[in-house]
Order: sequence, then structure tokens, then C-alpha cells
Amino acid sequence: MSTINFANREINFKIVYYGPGLSGKTTNLKWIYGKIPEGRKGEMVSLATEDERTLFFDFLPLDLGEVKGFKTRFHLYTVPGQVFYNASRKLILRGVDGIVFVADSAPNRLRANAESMRNMRENLAEYGLKVEDLPVVLQVNKRDLPDALPVEMVRAVVDPEGRFPVFEAVATEGKGVFETLKEVSRLVLARVGSGA
Amino acid sequence: MVEPSLVLYGGPYERAMDVLEETLRETGARYALFIDRKGFVLAHKEALWAPKPPPLDSLATLVAGNAAATQALAKLLGEARFQEVVHQGERMGLYVDEAGEHALLVLVFDENAPLGKVKLYGKRAAEALARLAAEALANPPKLNLDTQYREEAKALLDELFGN
Ligand SMILES: Nc1nc2c(ncn2[C@@H]2O[C@H](COP(=O)(O)OP(=O)(O)OP(=O)(O)O)[C@@H](O)[C@H]2O)c(=O)[nH]1
Ligand SMILES: [Mg+2]
Repeated sequence: MSTINFANREINFKIVYYGPGLSGKTTNLKWIYGKIPEGRKGEMVSLATEDERTLFFDFLPLDLGEVKGFKTRFHLYTVPGQVFYNASRKLILRGVDGIVFVADSAPNRLRANAESMRNMRENLAEYGLKVEDLPVVLQVNKRDLPDALPVEMVRAVVDPEGRFPVFEAVATEGKGVFETLKEVSRLVLARVGSGA
Repeated sequence: MVEPSLVLYGGPYERAMDVLEETLRETGARYALFIDRKGFVLAHKEALWAPKPPPLDSLATLVAGNAAATQALAKLLGEARFQEVVHQGERMGLYVDEAGEHALLVLVFDENAPLGKVKLYGKRAAEALARLAAEALANPPKLNLDTQYREEAKALLDELFGN
């Protein structure tokens, strides 16, 4: 649930970018960091290995501005996608308000996409959460790959019921990055005050 | 066990600020923060003489991440919890203690603050804050944000992220 600070009149939301290793989660955050003007963002913190794989998380705070007297802010996180970092991944999900699932269009990552989604369900379950209870947006990334799988094929393995809004993206070029973030933000905000 | 929202305002907030202020005075620490386990700042106080602090968002996030990892380690070893954590460099130090199940106390201190005092008053402050957190959780305020909030927020989303 969102963190509300009445004293400072702030409402904070936590949005987590989830997905298999190398799908482009960190690339999303870097693009966002590069495009948001000063004054609307804080420092980006990346806990990564030498070869730039996320080790614990990336973090980027964004300032939406003042809404009805409340400063409204989003804290964006990425999880480490590599399978063996599950203990860290689980910790990052604590208190999550919305999720962007970044899937990889590469044919040899189809299975990794499916496994990552299953892993996310398991980890959420440890916090008593179901994917169905949370705003989730599916981003199908790396659409620029020459052998990119059809979007529907990627979707079929991570979201067979077609429940989540889907965005195609080329995160390295910023395509679809803001569209995805905007949609998850909208969904998260839509739950404020609705008793959810 | 969905993470509850720890909302601090009014009386409990004022008292939290008092606790932080007193802790700064007793320990000689630079900054005192009361944060939730998700890494959001609930209340913070800076000593009047202290230089500008580092970005508090980053500080709170890293401390919460660190605390979560430490707690997971304790569990792996069959411990309910580990004691408070102190990190000390040549000049600066960090004291982190749990303030109940959902929050943390953070003290940032320099070489002029005696570690014994930091630990003693840090522990006391953490206990006081744990009580405040429990109280706040037991009486969550009602937030009356309506459709108007959502519409205004949506307009800001357009502005920040484009149409
Ligand atoms: N061709 C192509 N490459 C991309 C795209 N997005 C990201 N990449 C590349 O994929 C690699 C991995 O990207 P990251 O953003 O670090 O992946 P990640 O999901 O954060 O990976 P982990 O931290 O291990 O979970 C990098 O070399 C990126 O440049 C894309 O849209 N198209
Ligand atoms: Mg990464």
C-alpha cells in the first residue's frame, strides 16, 4: 500500500520493474532518468555487479507534483532478474503498489519470461498478494530484434488470460518506456481512495 | 500479511519529531530519520549545526534494503532478528535499529559523537518510535481522496510523461 505522510503532505507509491535477467529493466530506468527534468527526479541508485547486472536493485524517485495539496511521488525499483538472486528479488517486492513486467522478445528467452512470471507469483504470495490484486503492466521489450517473437506469443506464456495492458518497447531507444510507466502510474493512482 | 500503511500525523508525528530531536541532542548525531521498511521517510530531523545531508530518499532506500537483507540473513541462521547495526568509517558512522516490525530508526553521526551514547540513546529512541508506530497502525487515519485527486493526478501524468 502507498505510504502517506500527512505531516509533510506526501503520498508515495512503490513501482517495481520485474522480469527475467537481461530483459531491459535497468535500461527502462536509465532512460527515464535521462529524460525527466531536474527537480522532478532524485538520484538514481544502482546496486550492480562489475558487468552491470543488477545485484540488489536500481532505485529512482520521481516527483509527480502536487495533487490536492499532496506531494505525489513514485519510487521506481528494478529487481535483479538472474535466477539465483531470488532472495533479493523477494525483498524488493515488499510494499509494492504496482508492477511493470518487462518481458524479452528474443526466442531463446521465451521460457525465461514464463519462469520469471511464475517466480513473481510465488514471491508475491509470500506477502499475501496475488498478481490479480495489483496493477500490472506487461512490457514486451526488444521489439527491434530481427528475430523478435510475435507479441501475442510472448504474452501467451506470461499472461495467458490477457489480463494486463501490453506495451511494445525498445527500451534502448526509449520506445514504449514512458507509455508503460504512465499506464502503471495511472492504474496505481486509480486505486487511491477507492478503498483498495 | 499485506504490508500495512504506516501513516504518521498529528500527535504521533509531533512526538516522533520530539524523539528524533532529543536523540540528536543526547548523542550529538547529525541526522535522525524514522523510516518505514519500504524505504520511505516518515519523519526526519537535522542538527542545527549539521551540513546539508545526502539525498534522504537514497539513504532511506539503501538502509531499508540493507535491513531487509540483514533480517533475511538472521532468518537463514534461525535467529528471530539481529541486533542493531553500526557502520563506521573514518569520519562518519551510521546506526540503524528496528522500531518495531514496520519501521526503522537511522542515525548518521560523525567522529564527535561518542559511539556509546549513539547506541544507548539510539536504542531508547527506537523503542519509543516502535510504540508510536504501533499506535499509528492501530489508528489509521481515513484518507478522503476522491475522484478529483485522480483527475488532477492524471493531468500531471500527462505533463510529466507526455500524452
Ligand atoms: N536490442 C535491444 N537490446 C536491449 C533493449 N533493452 C535493453 N537491451 C540490452 O539488453 C541488455 C540488458 O539490459 P538491462 O537493462 O541491464 O537488463 P536487466 O533486465 O536490468 O537485467 P538484470 O539486471 O540482470 O535483471 C543491455 O545490453 C541492454 O542494452 C532493447 O529494447 N533492444
Ligand atoms: Mg538490471
